[in-house]
Amino acid sequence: MLNMTNLSKVYRTHMIETHALRGFGIQVNQGEFVTVTGPSGSGKTSFLNIAGLLEEFTSGEFVLDGVNVKGMDDNARSRLRNEKLGFIFQGFNLIPDLSLFDNVDVPLRYRGFNAAERRERIEDALAQVGLASRMKHYPAELSGGQQQRVAIARALAGSPKLLLADEPTGNLDTQMARDVMELLEEINAQGTTILMVTHDLELAVRAQRNVHIIDGQVADLARKAPTLFDAHVV
Amino acid sequence: MFSYYFLLGVRSLRRNPALTALMVLTLAIGVAASVATLTILHVMSGDPIPHKSERLFVPLIDNGTPIPDKAAVAEIGDDKMSYIDAANLLKGGHGERRSALYGFSAPIEPARKDLPAMAAQGIAPTRDFFAMLDVPFRYGQAWSEADDKAGADVVVLSRALSEKLFGSVNPVGRRLRLMGFDYQVAGVLQSWRPVPKFYRLSGGSGAFGQEDEFMIPFSSAIRHETAPKGMKCLTDREPGFQGQLGSECTWIYFMFETRSGAGRAELQDYLDNYAADQRQLGRLERHAKNELFDVMQWLEFQKVVGNDNRLATWLAFGFLLLCLVNTIGLLLAKFSVRASEVGIRRALGASRREIFQQFLTETAVVGLVGGGLGLSLAFGALGLIAMQSEQLSVVAHMDWQMLGAAFALSLLAALLAGILPTWRACQVTPAIQLKSQ
Repeated sequence: MLNMTNLSKVYRTHMIETHALRGFGIQVNQGEFVTVTGPSGSGKTSFLNIAGLLEEFTSGEFVLDGVNVKGMDDNARSRLRNEKLGFIFQGFNLIPDLSLFDNVDVPLRYRGFNAAERRERIEDALAQVGLASRMKHYPAELSGGQQQRVAIARALAGSPKLLLADEPTGNLDTQMARDVMELLEEINAQGTTILMVTHDLELAVRAQRNVHIIDGQVADLARKAPTLFDAHVV
Repeated sequence: MFSYYFLLGVRSLRRNPALTALMVLTLAIGVAASVATLTILHVMSGDPIPHKSERLFVPLIDNGTPIPDKAAVAEIGDDKMSYIDAANLLKGGHGERRSALYGFSAPIEPARKDLPAMAAQGIAPTRDFFAMLDVPFRYGQAWSEADDKAGADVVVLSRALSEKLFGSVNPVGRRLRLMGFDYQVAGVLQSWRPVPKFYRLSGGSGAFGQEDEFMIPFSSAIRHETAPKGMKCLTDREPGFQGQLGSECTWIYFMFETRSGAGRAELQDYLDNYAADQRQLGRLERHAKNELFDVMQWLEFQKVVGNDNRLATWLAFGFLLLCLVNTIGLLLAKFSVRASEVGIRRALGASRREIFQQFLTETAVVGLVGGGLGLSLAFGALGLIAMQSEQLSVVAHMDWQMLGAAFALSLLAALLAGILPTWRACQVTPAIQLKSQ
């Protein structure tokens, strides 16, 4: 599904070069639920941005669902992002002056679906996260957990191959975080590959596999997620 | 996608309404100022008879006396001709049609007892005038060629004067006391007011003056020794009307119609030959070039659109530019707070091009609303201008062409103003925006 080989990302200013990723390699298979952990500044965000085609990489190879993304122009990257990926962010990132319906509609518009298909997908996605009855509401009228559910619905509506989640529970209380995590697990169980960056090792251990990043490199590639004991060690 | 962007644009008007109102108002004022002045310029510089303006020619024969002072020569540039030349050109029979004419004011004694005697503005052309200028008739027709030859007392009335004197009935055949003579009504015109009034221009004045209220044959006016409204005499002349006719005083307008634009050269040859013949008779001592103007050249020569009109238009467009700069600033402010939305849309699959299209469509919506308001303001401004004088009321009105141009202008102005802010919006780095939420 996602294969990065010997990837590097260098941020250059007039004075300094910062290597966010170096010799980075990872493979995520179809249907996996992989968590990514690591300390601040380790390169998690750079990795996620590159995986989400939001940033370009400096060197190396990156193949997404069989498509080599190296050298792609903005239009092609945007199309690929729209078709293959779904995003869930820590800050929900809903558009405040659009209703829930219209928020979920955004990626479908760029996909070019007709009105009937968009409506069906939006209603299905909102029903899947338990918010079908509130599609005319606005984000400000919802709790944080509900907003994150809308964001998940938006990510799911386009039937992405890979769901990228960046600290999806970071702004939620424990109960809401648990609910969102259960929802993600349910989605994964239905066949969607999930790659989730998190600081929360309690959540990280629930995934099938954890990738730990330190200094822009994969520190540990284990078949099993770390234990809570590992978390204390980390 | 355009309908989606348009819908987003309409919704974005509600977002930050104070800023939106400022932008709309700024654009509207700029558009109103430029559209109002442009409308006036458009009407003033329009072709009053587009289907044949290239076949109608005004001849100028310089019959002034030689003056060694070059500046004085340049100043003369007379735009009318003497009776001698007008009569000769009429007799010459060149061109498809031809007419001499002059304007005058005359007293009218209405047959109706309830109407007082009044003064009216009239012209004295030949019969060809009506066909040359495609003058539309409501009742009757132009007088006959025989009337022209005989100097018959027949009159064609404007619609307004006919209604004033005879009400709504057809007055053809009725009699009218004009200048102390009985004239028979030959016809009544439809409302007819070419703008500018090209057939009777002198030094730019009167181009937008009032409608001529009646027409009598040139020969009839001469026979009754009707004095012209304006006359220029650079040499001494014999006293009396006969003296005026035999003098080099200029007071008559003249116009030819040719079968095609190509007839111009033939007409020019005729004029040059005529002038050469006249010089042999001791006239036209200045040896100046004989000019021939088609309608648009004539309007240009007469400076119908003055430099002050052009300057006012340039100033209005300068003002529009200032408004645009202001709008750019306001749009930058409006779009800068939407960087997060750009980031979200980019993450969800929008390319830079799609973001550009969306934001530019939003500015176009602002332009449409600003244009609509600007047009209302322009209508108001034109209404105010029209109230200032009769002349201004003729030019201060908007036609469909200008209405379309005004909308295009406001849309273009908004799009121009939107390019920089939209381009800036497209430069948003989605990763940074998404993380900063």
